[in-house]
Amino acid sequence: MTSIRLNRTLVISVFVVASCGLAYELIMAALASYLLGDSILLFSSVIGLYLFAMGVGAHVSKYIADQDALARFIEIELLVGVMGGLSALGLFVAFGLAAAPFRTLLYAMVLLTGTVVGMEIPLVMRILNQQQADFRELVSRVLTFDYMGALAVSLLFPLVLAPHLGMARSALLFGILNVLVAMVTARAFRAQLGKRYAALQGRAGTVLLILAGAFVLANRIVAAAEEHYFGDPVVYSRSTPYQRLVVTRWKDDTRLFLNGNLQFSSRDEARYHEALVLPAMEQVKDARTVLILGGGDGLAAREVLKYPSVQAVTLVDLDAQMTQLFSQSRTLTALNHGSLADARLRVVNEDAAKWLETAPEQYDVILIDFPDPSSFALGKLYSVPMYRLAARHLAPGGRMAVQSTSPYFAPNAFWCIEATLRAAGLHTWPYHIYVPSFGEWGFILAGADDAFALPATLRVNTRFLSPEELAAMFRFPADMARREVEPNFLNTQKLVQYFEQDWGEVMR
Amino acid sequence: MNRREFLRHAAWGSLCAGTAAGGYAWLRPTPPTVSVIRPGLPAGHLLRDAADWPQPARTLHCETLILGSGAAALCAAWHLVRNGQSNFLLAEGPERNGNNAARPYGEIAAPTGAHYLALPSRESTQVRQLLHALGILQDGVESDAPAYRETDLVFAPESRLYYQNRWQDGLLPEAPDADTRRFFALVARLKRARGRDGRKRFAIPLALSSSDAAREALDAQTFARWLDAQGLHSPALRWYLDYCCRDDYGQGADKISAFAGLHYFCARNNAQDAVLTWPEGLGHISEAIRRQIRLQEWRALPDGEDHATLRLSTPASVPMMAVAVEENADDVAVLLAPADGRRAPTVRLLARRVICAMPLQVAARIVRGFARYAGEGLQLPPVVPWLVANFHLCRFPAEAPGMERAWDNVVYGSPHLGYVIATHQLLRVARPRETVFTAYTTVPDLPPAQARRWLLEAGDDALLEYAARDLLAVYGKRFWWSVQHVDLIARAHAMPSPEPGYLNNAMLARLRAHASRLVFAHSDLSGYSVFEEACHHGVRAAQRLLAM
Repeated sequence: MTSIRLNRTLVISVFVVASCGLAYELIMAALASYLLGDSILLFSSVIGLYLFAMGVGAHVSKYIADQDALARFIEIELLVGVMGGLSALGLFVAFGLAAAPFRTLLYAMVLLTGTVVGMEIPLVMRILNQQQADFRELVSRVLTFDYMGALAVSLLFPLVLAPHLGMARSALLFGILNVLVAMVTARAFRAQLGKRYAALQGRAGTVLLILAGAFVLANRIVAAAEEHYFGDPVVYSRSTPYQRLVVTRWKDDTRLFLNGNLQFSSRDEARYHEALVLPAMEQVKDARTVLILGGGDGLAAREVLKYPSVQAVTLVDLDAQMTQLFSQSRTLTALNHGSLADARLRVVNEDAAKWLETAPEQYDVILIDFPDPSSFALGKLYSVPMYRLAARHLAPGGRMAVQSTSPYFAPNAFWCIEATLRAAGLHTWPYHIYVPSFGEWGFILAGADDAFALPATLRVNTRFLSPEELAAMFRFPADMARREVEPNFLNTQKLVQYFEQDWGEVMR
Repeated sequence: MNRREFLRHAAWGSLCAGTAAGGYAWLRPTPPTVSVIRPGLPAGHLLRDAADWPQPARTLHCETLILGSGAAALCAAWHLVRNGQSNFLLAEGPERNGNNAARPYGEIAAPTGAHYLALPSRESTQVRQLLHALGILQDGVESDAPAYRETDLVFAPESRLYYQNRWQDGLLPEAPDADTRRFFALVARLKRARGRDGRKRFAIPLALSSSDAAREALDAQTFARWLDAQGLHSPALRWYLDYCCRDDYGQGADKISAFAGLHYFCARNNAQDAVLTWPEGLGHISEAIRRQIRLQEWRALPDGEDHATLRLSTPASVPMMAVAVEENADDVAVLLAPADGRRAPTVRLLARRVICAMPLQVAARIVRGFARYAGEGLQLPPVVPWLVANFHLCRFPAEAPGMERAWDNVVYGSPHLGYVIATHQLLRVARPRETVFTAYTTVPDLPPAQARRWLLEAGDDALLEYAARDLLAVYGKRFWWSVQHVDLIARAHAMPSPEPGYLNNAMLARLRAHASRLVFAHSDLSGYSVFEEACHHGVRAAQRLLAM
């Protein structure tokens, strides 16, 4: 009778052990491709290495003497519990510390965990073999439950665990299961373990405590790791088809990063967005229709909607997940004052350049907030045809404001954009503003006619701008003075070269 | 093990195996679908094999008939309309737009033939005027640096070279060596050179070049021999020049006339160094001409009585091809058959004047008494085949380090011609989801006739493997993960190749000089294939008809 009961304990252990073994493999592979991208190579190399390591483990298992097999099995379970359980958390922390050789660490962890996991099943079979003579039945049972465990986890992990617990906590949960297997097995074979029983249970208890503690703290540790990478606690992160969005928050400072590049800091974004929006809005008497290209964060839209004359705003931003986030998250709608949900605003999730080619509408004010011209692909957005295209959507007397990089750090690029707007047949009024998070930043106001007057009063409430500050923006001191540079023609794309040279000199 | 247990185990086993197989199938890329397109092949075989055609259902009369819809045909049509002659019919021929054809791929269109037009030099007045009329050349038709519509010029970066597993800017590897500098200094001098007759030594169209002894000497040798004689041996330069010969003339520098090899570099003298291109290639120009002249595209000839006369206020075209042409005293009798390779129904057209804008090897077959125009003893120049492959991608493959994607992407040392990215000419904030890479290949290792046979007989897999070589060299096997469909366009008679002596082809000279009710218009008349020559011959043919 006892033999059957023991047998059942071990067989259930096999099921759990197999689940855990596969889980670590999946978690490490998924985590690696999640953090590093490049999923197919990483995924298959992690799986392959893990299986190979299991083979090594199976080979090593023969050096364990028969009389030690049971105690070693329990110790190995504890070891797997610690290593596997902490694997995901460890990788997150390592990724946060930019200095750590992440790939090396990943493969070392895969190799070690795989080796120890590989020792489990051979040991269980030997223990069962010591208990029961029918080898045929034994092999069949063990392997059946081994594969069943694998199937269970392969479905459970992507459908339930990863979405609800996250990678770090899933791994820890499986670690805890490994330790429980160790404890149950120790208890079932208490008689055979003799004096070693107490010591083993003591160790198991300690490990369980560590893993449980880590489970509770896991989310905070992961957040801290990402925080180390971004500098502030991460409150939201998501990879969309177009970019990786990360929102961080520290005290009252909320920041948005796109692909690791800072887009705004809530502390000083008012400087940037008032400067982008107000000069153009103040130049057009009672602007009714406004077009915003880019600016899916809704912050420019917030400034636009302050003007009571505005009846319709069209915001064209490619990334639907970005505009969704900034229209739903409470932290973020507090920043943009719910501008994206305003009845006067229409969000179009399409490529802004493609949309301009086909849309028929004209607008009193157009605000262009595109990414910096750091590549030929992006440089096209700052070209004569692009500005001609935009100008076709400008109503008579309308004004356009263009984000134009830094006139201090990238003076040639800034004045190249200005020259490009002029080459497109527009009158220009360049201006600049100091934004602490970015440094000195530049914009260009442009229009088909040359009427320009500085406003004596501002029509809306501001956090930063006043008529005096606004007038000061249009004055360029000697170290940012106009430079004679070539316009950005599509055929030559000088702008990209200027931009690279300029920033190359800043970041020596 | 009892039966029940066995069944249970079997069930688990098959479930696990099924999951594994399903997972594998899900992860594994689905291989792309492949279509092999052989433009003109059914029509060509029909022409070759059909001795007699069914009696035409009816006879129609018309004023002017243009046979073909390639660059020469459309340029002739444009010139006729510009001079107030809209009363003409155009038979599209076996392939609409000929070598300028394009095909749609999702939201994008990509060429199945020619991709670009070099900026026309001052001598190419007709091309410049055409581009001006189409709004592509905006200002300065007669200046050294005309203003072109910016979106029609190739966007930077124009080209990049895959050299030692890195992409670098431009097509010449490394910094120019001594030989390379010497070659381009020579080119700069030759650009200004004039012959004894005071004309430019190298001009496009070829007809405006000087013809003197120096030209004969250049045309008597291959480009490779001339380069050897000049002591230009740098492997980088020689590879580049060989690439240029294959790209323009379909054969390497060891086959091409030295005059042709130099003509490519010396004939165009623009202040600006660029090309005109569109996602759909030269199909853009063909379509623009069609719109400009308001060409009505009929599905078939209108019903009407036998011996009715077509009178058109705007020109029209029909998807038909000429299968027999015979010039009579008062008219030219043309038998038209459906362009899709069916034998019937045929229609006989009696036209007062005909522009025969089809490749010469076809004209030689269907024009009765061709010797009357071409002289005795056919001297058709060698015609080389091309394989153009459009890879429709569902994502952009990951790039090797170095220069970012360019319009033209070439692999150093490769016998193939690299690939062009169709979406390069789009203005977009983000990279488009889909794109088309058009890979160009010739078959430089085989003589033209054998190359053509190989292209006809090779299986789909062999053609695909051949067409994809440059792409696989650059992206590796992972490239297939991005490909959803491949069109392999095998052009058996893609272009004539200017081998030594091509300038002295008596048959071409006769055909160029010929004037009667039936005139010839095709770039073949210049012995090589380029838009400027097609335009020149198209316009010249139209001028001859107008003078009649």
